[in-house]
Amino acid sequence: MNVVSWLRRIQRRSNAWVIISVIGAFVALLPSLYILVGLFQKPNENWQHIQQYMLKDYALQSLWLVLGTGTLTVLIGVTLAWLVAAYEFPLRRFFSWAFVLPLAIPPYIAAYTYGSMLSYTGSVQVFMRNVLGWTPDQKYFDIMSMKGAIFIFTMFLFPYVYLITRSFFEKQSASFIENARLLGKNPFHIFFRIVIPLAQPAIIGGVSLVAFEVLNDFGVTKHFGIQSFTTAIFTTWFGMYDVESAIRLAAWLMSVIIGVFLIERLLRKRKKYNASTNRSSPLSRRRLRGLPAWAAFGFGAVIVSLSFLIPVVQLIVWAKWTYKDVLNAKFAEMLMNTLSVSAIAIAILMLFAIISANVVRTGRSLFTLVLSKLISMGYSVPGAVLSIGVLAVFISFDEQLSGFYAWLGLGKGKLVLSMSIAMLIFAYVIRFLAVGYNAVEAGFEKTGNRYTEASRLLGFGMTRTFFKVDLPLIKGALLTGCILTFMEIVKELPLTLLLRPFNFDTLATKAYQYASDEQIHQASVPSLFIIAVGMISVFFYHWLGEKNSK
Amino acid sequence: MKKYTVGIMLMVMMTLVFMTGCGSNAENNGTAVKGNTAPNTANDEKKPEDTTEGSGKDKVVNVFTARHYDVDSLIYEEFTKQTGIKVNEVKGTAEELVERLKREGESSEADLFVTVDGGVLNYAKQNDVLQPIESATVEQNVPEQWRDKDNNWVGVATRARVIVYAKDRVKPEQLSTYEDLATDKWKGKVLARSSSSLYNQSLLASFVELNGEQKAEEWAKGIVNNFARDPEGGDRDQAKAIAAKVGDVAIMNTYYVGQMLNSKDAEEVKVAENIGVFFPNQDTTGTHLNISGIGLTKHAKNKENAIKLIEFMTGKEGQTILTQGSYEFPVNQAADKPELLKSWGEFKSQQIDYAKLGEHNKKATEILNKVGWK
Repeated sequence: MNVVSWLRRIQRRSNAWVIISVIGAFVALLPSLYILVGLFQKPNENWQHIQQYMLKDYALQSLWLVLGTGTLTVLIGVTLAWLVAAYEFPLRRFFSWAFVLPLAIPPYIAAYTYGSMLSYTGSVQVFMRNVLGWTPDQKYFDIMSMKGAIFIFTMFLFPYVYLITRSFFEKQSASFIENARLLGKNPFHIFFRIVIPLAQPAIIGGVSLVAFEVLNDFGVTKHFGIQSFTTAIFTTWFGMYDVESAIRLAAWLMSVIIGVFLIERLLRKRKKYNASTNRSSPLSRRRLRGLPAWAAFGFGAVIVSLSFLIPVVQLIVWAKWTYKDVLNAKFAEMLMNTLSVSAIAIAILMLFAIISANVVRTGRSLFTLVLSKLISMGYSVPGAVLSIGVLAVFISFDEQLSGFYAWLGLGKGKLVLSMSIAMLIFAYVIRFLAVGYNAVEAGFEKTGNRYTEASRLLGFGMTRTFFKVDLPLIKGALLTGCILTFMEIVKELPLTLLLRPFNFDTLATKAYQYASDEQIHQASVPSLFIIAVGMISVFFYHWLGEKNSK
Repeated sequence: MKKYTVGIMLMVMMTLVFMTGCGSNAENNGTAVKGNTAPNTANDEKKPEDTTEGSGKDKVVNVFTARHYDVDSLIYEEFTKQTGIKVNEVKGTAEELVERLKREGESSEADLFVTVDGGVLNYAKQNDVLQPIESATVEQNVPEQWRDKDNNWVGVATRARVIVYAKDRVKPEQLSTYEDLATDKWKGKVLARSSSSLYNQSLLASFVELNGEQKAEEWAKGIVNNFARDPEGGDRDQAKAIAAKVGDVAIMNTYYVGQMLNSKDAEEVKVAENIGVFFPNQDTTGTHLNISGIGLTKHAKNKENAIKLIEFMTGKEGQTILTQGSYEFPVNQAADKPELLKSWGEFKSQQIDYAKLGEHNKKATEILNKVGWK
């Protein structure tokens, strides 16, 4: 492509949409850029030690965690999504939303819960000792291991894959699958040869969220004594007091992740999975009978029990012991804080997600490709490190604005923005933009471009097309995005801990305070509130979904 | 198209306005001295340093704290009740809070920095975010041993990191020192939590100071060789592993024993009742203590109030609330200790300059990595 036509393209495309997404991406990028600069600075004397004793092993451990969790979440998530979308079996309607509930439980709370539950004084062993009179070998209960961590991450993160894939199955794949059924293919053939390849973009979207979560986790890995890459970052910072090298490690992590996803995207670039029929009738579900029906039911029941019922019941028991000490007037305030901050952050975040996803899909070029990946960058570094980036950016904003503050009569040298809730909201937005963006993108992938193209051909502009055609089509995906980001923000910890203003507690920070001080019984009360908030939003989501499908 | 474009622009602008709106709101409700600054704008021009501390109704002190215990809030509430000075908190991880103080510089709103572990207190001092606390009362309350030599911070509580043992399998006579745990005698019997625990880093840092780097490394290696299992869980989990007969001895902080004995979970109480607490190194260097401390930030805007709070926290009343609530050892001997702590009796503690722990922390972390202490 020569320069002239390239410039012409830019001119043709540079409407408000592009400008907003470029500005948004740039602002969202500032903290990440700040971190990436770490790569280009000369390493200090600690770097040698870090390379020798931490880098390789810790990176390998992280890789195992991601591979193990990734494989299992795809297996479980896609299977469940397919069962719910394509078959009728006992309690299917209940399962269809119950599979989302584990997302409401923060993995570190799950880790503490399962850890305590299976410990020597936990309910399982106590039951065996006191009721059955049997003291089993401890090794059977060792959940605090690599396997245990993969179990925790799988059980509490698979809904990402499930949710995104299910909404894809329900609309997109109907015609292909019904054709295959007509051609007499058996269910296994359909699943492996048609369903999985078709759902590839959705699966990758979901599993990439899982991978990000696993890579950034410090709660589960710390409690279980696993040396992951994030452990290395925190050991460097908190143990060696070397922020510089910690940022450097984070920058490495970030570039590897971006690299992997760019490669994936380039490999996938030529394939398009948009529906080519003009009828997007939902998949008609087949009724399972006999053994298959019970097998599907049993599988669903086991997953719901492990990933939701068991830990929640345990938390309720603990909450009964401690609620009197924990529930007080401040608790209501905490709940309000959590809800209002999330709501504001989600509104801003989804707006940017929609705008940039729309720009990216309508103008497929290297520029938009890079833009889309840059937007996800905030999600690829550990929250605590990102928070340094955000802090740096806001404090420099405040310094720039100090003249303005003085003019307003606020006094000289005041930190206004960086002592306010705005900093925290900003941090949430850039951290979770990827979550909202992935959901919206999956929505666009599902609807395809044909309606948009038709609308543009008929002379509607990009904006009008968007409001009249695109937005109604991706309503479901938007809701998915809102729910997912909402649950993320409610659970979010490192950013909230560091970037909040004075006296600003959220449910997550309270739960963490107790859990980190090994007061898991007290932590159960705020944890249950987090879960309840999550449950309500899942119900709401499901209810809206049902209403729309009628 | 124009119409929609304008619409979107408006939406974005409204969002931005909303964000900044929130900002100033939080400022209003929040902490700082805004209520005071407004009438003083004229003075501000000449004397930006002139804070209006203590006047009007905005009597506050702003605390960055890495101590997350409910008992701390109790102390702050009591302080507010008695003095009318409101305590505002930001809680976080110590190292992160130091980073935030550093980056905020002169503009920082924080007056006090509260944390566990002497190493971190010293780290804060080294990063030049603290200033000397000038108060005769504080000096009276806190023995010299628990104060920074430049008074940049003072201790508020200590926790002994001791050896706990299975009462049914180990006799206290078999125990003597931390060093002894690294000998073959205890092969396959020692329990400890992971090396990312600050408590373990500080313990090892104290050995670097007392016995030298070489010996400290040998010790860590010996402990790793003697592990009953890979490090996992927290301090309480080590006690449970003793009960489950995974190992016989564990390194843990005393106050967890106190909390377990008072747990609502009957099984935890049982576990705690069956372990013995041993204060090691009584004939040599003394038992290692972690320290919780409080520092006055370099650019504290409410300095007087801040010092009042330190005085209260280290005074008899504050110290009694603290130790009764958390089973830590008070730094002020006038405090009324819980029976449990009294029952352990007096013991000899490491006489060590806490600044040194901070200096050796990095070395300790490196050693832990090197010997493969997970």
